[in-house]
Amino acid sequence: MAEITYIDAINRTLHEEMTRDETTFLIGEDTGIYGGVFKATRGLLEEFGPDRIVDSPISESLIAGMTVGAAMVGCRPLPEIQFADFISPAFDQIVQQVARYYWRTRGAFEMPITLRCPYGGGVGGGVFHSQSNEAWFMNTPGLVMVAPGSVRDAAGLLRSAIRSQDPVLYWEHKKLYRSLKDDLPDGDETLTPIGKAEVARTGSHVTAISFGYTYQLCLEAADQLAEDGIEVEVIDLKTLLPLDKSTVIESIAKTGKAVIVHEAPKVGGIGGEIAAILAEECFWELDAPITRVAGYNTSFPAARTMEEHYMPSTAQIAAALKTAVET
Amino acid sequence: MAEEQETQFSFPAKYRLTGEMEGCTDERKLELFERLLKTREFDARMRKLFRQGRFEGTFYSQIGQEACDVVIAYQLDKQDFVGPSHRDLGASTGKGVPLKYLTAQVYNRVDSPDGGRYTACHYWHPEFWVMNPSTSIVMNWIAATGAAFGYKMLKKDNVAVAFCGDGATAHGDFHEACNFAGVHRLPIVYVVQNNLWAESLPVALTTALTDLNHRADAYGFPGVSIDGNDVVETWNTTREALMRARSGAGPTLIEMKTYRWHGHSDIDPADYRSDDEVAHWMERDPIPRYEQYLREHKVLNDDALVEVRMRIEAEIEEAVDFAENSPRPAPDAYQSHVYAEAYPGFEFGDRNPGGANG
Ligand SMILES: Cc1ncc(C[n+]2csc(CCOP(=O)(O)OP(=O)(O)O)c2C)c(N)n1
Ligand SMILES: [Mg+2]
Repeated sequence: MAEITYIDAINRTLHEEMTRDETTFLIGEDTGIYGGVFKATRGLLEEFGPDRIVDSPISESLIAGMTVGAAMVGCRPLPEIQFADFISPAFDQIVQQVARYYWRTRGAFEMPITLRCPYGGGVGGGVFHSQSNEAWFMNTPGLVMVAPGSVRDAAGLLRSAIRSQDPVLYWEHKKLYRSLKDDLPDGDETLTPIGKAEVARTGSHVTAISFGYTYQLCLEAADQLAEDGIEVEVIDLKTLLPLDKSTVIESIAKTGKAVIVHEAPKVGGIGGEIAAILAEECFWELDAPITRVAGYNTSFPAARTMEEHYMPSTAQIAAALKTAVET
Repeated sequence: MAEEQETQFSFPAKYRLTGEMEGCTDERKLELFERLLKTREFDARMRKLFRQGRFEGTFYSQIGQEACDVVIAYQLDKQDFVGPSHRDLGASTGKGVPLKYLTAQVYNRVDSPDGGRYTACHYWHPEFWVMNPSTSIVMNWIAATGAAFGYKMLKKDNVAVAFCGDGATAHGDFHEACNFAGVHRLPIVYVVQNNLWAESLPVALTTALTDLNHRADAYGFPGVSIDGNDVVETWNTTREALMRARSGAGPTLIEMKTYRWHGHSDIDPADYRSDDEVAHWMERDPIPRYEQYLREHKVLNDDALVEVRMRIEAEIEEAVDFAENSPRPAPDAYQSHVYAEAYPGFEFGDRNPGGANG
């Protein structure tokens, strides 16, 4: 069994799924000849040719929006936004067209589209190459969003997304690309279910709820606190929209304490939605205030010193978990 | 402006149509005339019903511009893709969508293709491959381009046609779509209906160009400007553009100069334009010009016209009855088809959790 990285899992899954389904095509900037700015799509052009691996002009609205017509006539499009920060020119097409088209046509046309968005900080990219802007899309019914926090889910969620009949924004964290490795058997066809969160680590004192890179930090914080006898339950959300409420609610019913962690600014972030769900549905089970450890309400800074200051850290997460337990 | 004038024609010889309609049999010439007249009559009837308060919302009249849509849509195969905008009644009538679906759409009733959930007057039909137009201007330009890409990638012989207005050509999506179609020589025909106005904005404030065909120069494919109220010229130009698309020669942009007789929508008095301008264009009404052409070519006579009018009248009557008898949608009928797949966490929402409905 070979150990592979998060980005290799993405690349391998793209190869496998594009082989499996000849109606798939990939469109993005520098995705073909160059193999992607991160090399997530390397080798695909050689294998599938320029009809199916399209090096797009710098036209994000086109990249996102052309998938609707293509899906209508029988394709399974795999668009890529080079950096999630550049998704804003495509916003109109995504929220008004891609997300709503199935509803608008009362089910006449399904939209089996998987739009990959490399996102997140910690790579020294400055404000246009670091954002975690998933919350921009939370208020958009019809859209699905997944965000793998492990190598297995990088493959499993991508595979499920590609095979899904719904439009999925697939948020792949740039800092995990090469820092995360795991054994993934060749020919593995695991489908991580979309819409299901997972209790990745069980504990009884407090629940850490996260996804993506900060989910990994939560695991680290849980390891540290275990040495002090604090048992942290860690939930990997995996799907951000529609959120899996019941897994979160069940966990809080057990621990009574919730710490929600994400990289995006706190105001209007996904943590607010989860906190609201908990307040609505497990008010009587809570025995500490809900805490959010999130990005600051500024833009994302460039210099290493500032970037490190901006990103939620394992120590901060551990501190918040500890405070919750001691409340 | 007399109601009469919308459907009772005089025959202004000075705007006579000349030339041959390439590859068009007399039978098809007549059928095309019927679709044009049907589009006109349907539109006029809907305007009347709107003023009577028979349906809610508003109405976007296409009167004056019918030839721009109908002539090209009429030539398409059923599987060919159409990406219309908000004023493209003729895209549906031209392609042969039965009027009853269009009235049901205008009335937002359960028998409209979307069951009344989408937007009145945004005509579409899945079986006829007329896509559900997006109100966001020129969004469909990109979708139609995607469909053309899909046809090419899947090696299907079909083509796509996209419609927009003069105002829409200022939008970034117009550029992104045309540019991509040019690069990939996609099987698509782009139709810009230049009716001189985008809501209240005169075309001179949309663009410094006089002829919008020049937009195509930037994308490396042919652009032509034609009189969109001349059915013969429109037929020949669109026919050639469709043949180009089908043969793999790539896209064509056609600017059709035309005019909308009425307001942007039926709540717009259109007092930003002069009476002279309106009169100028009403004299160039595409339908009587084509009628005269057909009479001159002995394709149409009084008897045939009476028959055509009777058929149209009957279909409109039936379509209006159909819509008026079609139930209004159940209040919560919009709560289906948010997602194609099932998700444990998805719910429509509950305004009283823990209460009576909780
Ligand atoms: C993105 C967007 N901006 C604004 C509007 C409001 N709007 C609807 S139609 C229209 C004018 C369109 O003009 P044109 O493209 O010339 O088409 P016409 O109405 O003349 O057929 C405007 C501004 C819209 N629907 N979408
Ligand atoms: Mg206009």
